[in-house]
Amino acid sequence: MTLQNIKELAQALKAEFNSPSCNLDKCGQLLLKLKIALMEISFLTHDAKHASTEELLLARDVLEIGAQWSIRTKDIDSFERYIAQLQSYYNDYSHLPPSSQKYSLIGLNLVCLLSQNRISDFHTALEKIEPEQLHNNPSIQYAIKLEQSLMEGSYNRVWSSRQVVPAAEYLFFIDILMGTIRNEIASCSEKAYTSLPLKDAGTLLFFTDMGDILNFAKERNWKVNPAEQKAYFHSSADEKVTIPAEQIIKQALFYARDMDRIV
Amino acid sequence: MAEAPRRSARLSKGAAEEEKAPKPAAPETQDIDMEAAPPVIDEAARAKELEALAVADIKQHFVLLAKSVATHETRFTARVIRSLVSVRRRLTAPILASVVRAYYTKENDVTERLYKYIGQKASNAMDLDDAPVQPKTELPEIEVYIHLLVMVWLLDQNRLNEGIDLSGATVQMVQELNRRSLDQIAAKVYFYYARFYELTDRLAEIRGTLLSAQRTATLRRDDDTQSTLINLLLRNYFHYNLYEQADKLVSKTTFPENASNNQLARFMYYLGRIKAIQLEYTESHQNLLQAVRKAPQNTVTAGFQQEANKLLIIVQLLMGDIPERSLFRQPVLRKALTPYLQITQAVRVGDLTKFQEALTQHSATFHKDKNYTLILRLRHNVIKTGIRMISLSYSRISLRDVCIKLHLDSEEDAEYIVAKAIRDGVIDATIDHEKGFMRSKENVDIYSTNEPQQAFHQRIAFCLKLHNDSVKAMRFPSKAVDRSTVEEAEAVRDQERQLVQEIQEEGDSDMEGDGGPL
Repeated sequence: MTLQNIKELAQALKAEFNSPSCNLDKCGQLLLKLKIALMEISFLTHDAKHASTEELLLARDVLEIGAQWSIRTKDIDSFERYIAQLQSYYNDYSHLPPSSQKYSLIGLNLVCLLSQNRISDFHTALEKIEPEQLHNNPSIQYAIKLEQSLMEGSYNRVWSSRQVVPAAEYLFFIDILMGTIRNEIASCSEKAYTSLPLKDAGTLLFFTDMGDILNFAKERNWKVNPAEQKAYFHSSADEKVTIPAEQIIKQALFYARDMDRIV
Repeated sequence: MAEAPRRSARLSKGAAEEEKAPKPAAPETQDIDMEAAPPVIDEAARAKELEALAVADIKQHFVLLAKSVATHETRFTARVIRSLVSVRRRLTAPILASVVRAYYTKENDVTERLYKYIGQKASNAMDLDDAPVQPKTELPEIEVYIHLLVMVWLLDQNRLNEGIDLSGATVQMVQELNRRSLDQIAAKVYFYYARFYELTDRLAEIRGTLLSAQRTATLRRDDDTQSTLINLLLRNYFHYNLYEQADKLVSKTTFPENASNNQLARFMYYLGRIKAIQLEYTESHQNLLQAVRKAPQNTVTAGFQQEANKLLIIVQLLMGDIPERSLFRQPVLRKALTPYLQITQAVRVGDLTKFQEALTQHSATFHKDKNYTLILRLRHNVIKTGIRMISLSYSRISLRDVCIKLHLDSEEDAEYIVAKAIRDGVIDATIDHEKGFMRSKENVDIYSTNEPQQAFHQRIAFCLKLHNDSVKAMRFPSKAVDRSTVEEAEAVRDQERQLVQEIQEEGDSDMEGDGGPL
C-alpha cells in the first residue's frame, strides 16, 4: 500500500469518526486496516531519521483517533495500548509539530490511571509533563485536582468535578471512579460512625433512590434497622488483638543467629 | 559536620563562595599544596617550580600505572585515579604539553591531535629531567590516562565541543582495547564523556552508546565501569524525566557490590528518587539515608548533599515524620534548605494557608529541584496533621469548627476528610452525624499492642545489619605481610597513611555536577 492510499484511508477514518452519526464498528475496521498499512511504512521505528515527518504525523493522527475510539467503545485495554504507542511519538520525536490532542489525551490517561487506583503509575506519568503545562493546561489541572481531592478525602469535590469535565470522554472514567469512591466512602463510614440514618447515608454516598441505598447496604453487609431507618456498622471493639506468634519466633531465631555471629 | 582542618585552611579563599557554587571546576584559582609550596622567592620561579612538580607528579603516576599493569594489582591505578582531583587543579597547557612529550617518544597522529587540543607544543626550553628514568614502555593505560587529563582540562576551560570530540575518540579507543587493567580509567573516561554531552544538552544522543557499553561492562564483570555507567544512564533518564525507563533499568540490572562509595551514594540517591515518585516512601527513605551517609562529608560535595537532603526531607514529611531541626542548621545545607524549612514548618503545625504561601513563594526553586510534584502531594499531609492536632486538643468538636480551622470548603468536605482520617488510622475518633461533631476516643495504651515489639525489632535489625556491614567492609592484611620484614611493614603502613589521606580528598570529581538540578 502506498502512502497515498494510507492517507486516503486516514481521511476516511477522520471523516467517519468526526461525523455526528459515527459508526464505531466501521471506524474499528478502518483502524485495523490502517494499523496494518502503517506497519509497512515507518510505524514505531526506533530510528526516527529514516521516517519522514509526514509519515510520522500520519501515524500519530491515526493513533490519536484510535485512543478516542477506544474510549467510545469503552475498551480500556485498547486505550492503554494506544496511549503507550503514542508516548513514543510525543516524547522521542521532539521535532514533530506538537499535537493539539496531546494534553487532552494525556489528561485522559491520567484520569484512567486514577480510576483504576494506579496511583504510582499516575505520579510517574505526571513527572513527564512539562511544568508550564502542569500549571496551565486545563486537562492536566483537572486530573491533578482530582487526585488531590481523592487523597484528602474531599469526595464532595470529586463528585462536583463531574460537572466540569474538560471533554465528554472523561465522563467514562469518572463514572468508573464514582464506583471506587462509593466503596471508599463506605469503608470510611464503617470506621467513623457507629450508626447512620439511611437517608444521610444516601446523601453521603450520592444516592438519591432509597432502593439503591438498601442494595448497597446489603452488599456491604450493613445491619439495617427498618424501624429506626438506620444502618449499624460493626464496632471495631470486638476485634481481638492476636499475638503474632510465628513472626516473633522468626525474629527471635534471627536475633539468635546474628548474635551468635558476633560472639 | 566535621571538616578536616587542613582542608578548611586550603579553602580559606572563600568557603562561602564554595558553598554557593560547589563545582570544583574553578580553573583560575591555582590551589597550592601547603607542603609543596616553597617560601616565596619569585613569582615566576615559583610558578615554574610548581609546573615542574606537577609534571613530576604525573610522571610518578605513569610509574604507578605501569606497576599496576605489571603486578595485576588494581590498587595502584586506584591511587592514580584518586589523585586526579589534586592533579586537576594544577593542570595547565604547558604542563599537559610536556606530559605528552614525556610519554610519546616520537611524534605521530596521536600527539598531533593532543597538541591541537592543548594548543601548544612543549617548548624545548622547559627544564625537564628528560633522562628516561623508567623504560619507555608503550602502555595503553598511560595513553588513556593522558587523554583523560586533556579531557578534564578541556572541561575546565569550558571547551565543550572539542571535549566531545576527544572524549568520543577516547571512548572508542577504550572499547577497542579491552584490557582489564584499564577498567578504572575507562570508568572515568565514560564519566567525562557523559559530562560533556550533558553540558551541551545532548544527552539523548549518547544513550545508545552508554547502554551497549554497560552491557559489555556487565559481561566482563567490570565493576567500576558498570557502576559508573548505570549512574550515568539513570542521570540521563532523569534529565528527561523518564522515570519509567529508569525504573526498568534498575529492575533489569544489578548494581555491583564492590562499587566505590561515591557511585553507591549516587545510585542510592537515584533509587530513592524513583521510589519516592512511585509512592514507596519507606524504601525511598532508606535509600536516601544511605546516600546521605555514604556521601563524603566535605564542602566539595555540598551539591550532592543538598540535593539528597532536600529529597530526604520531603520523603520524611510524606511518611508523616518531621525532620530534625538540626538538619536545617548545618552550614553546608542551611541556605539551600530554607524553602524546605518553610514547607516543613507548615506541615508540622498543619497550617494549610502557610503551606500554600510557601509553595507559591518558592515555586520556581521547587521546579528547579524537580521536587514540585512531590511537594504537591504534601498538601494532604498538612491536612492530616491539622486533624491530628485538633483531635489531640479537643475531646469533642463540631465539624463546622474543623472546617473553619482547616480552611476547608464545606462542612460536608470536613466530614469526609475526618472520616477518611479515622479509617487511615491518623486519629482515633468517631463522628456523630446527626449532631455534627467529632468525638476523640480515649488514648489507648500503646504497650498493650504490638507496636513496641515492632519498634524494637526495627532497631535490633538495624544494629545487626550495621555490624554485618562493618565486618564485610573491613580490610585484612594479606598473609605475606605477616611474615615480612620490618621495612616492608613500614612501607605498607606508609601506603595506608597515604590511602587515608587520599580518601579524605577523594570524591569531588565523582560528585561533579550534582550542584545543579538533576
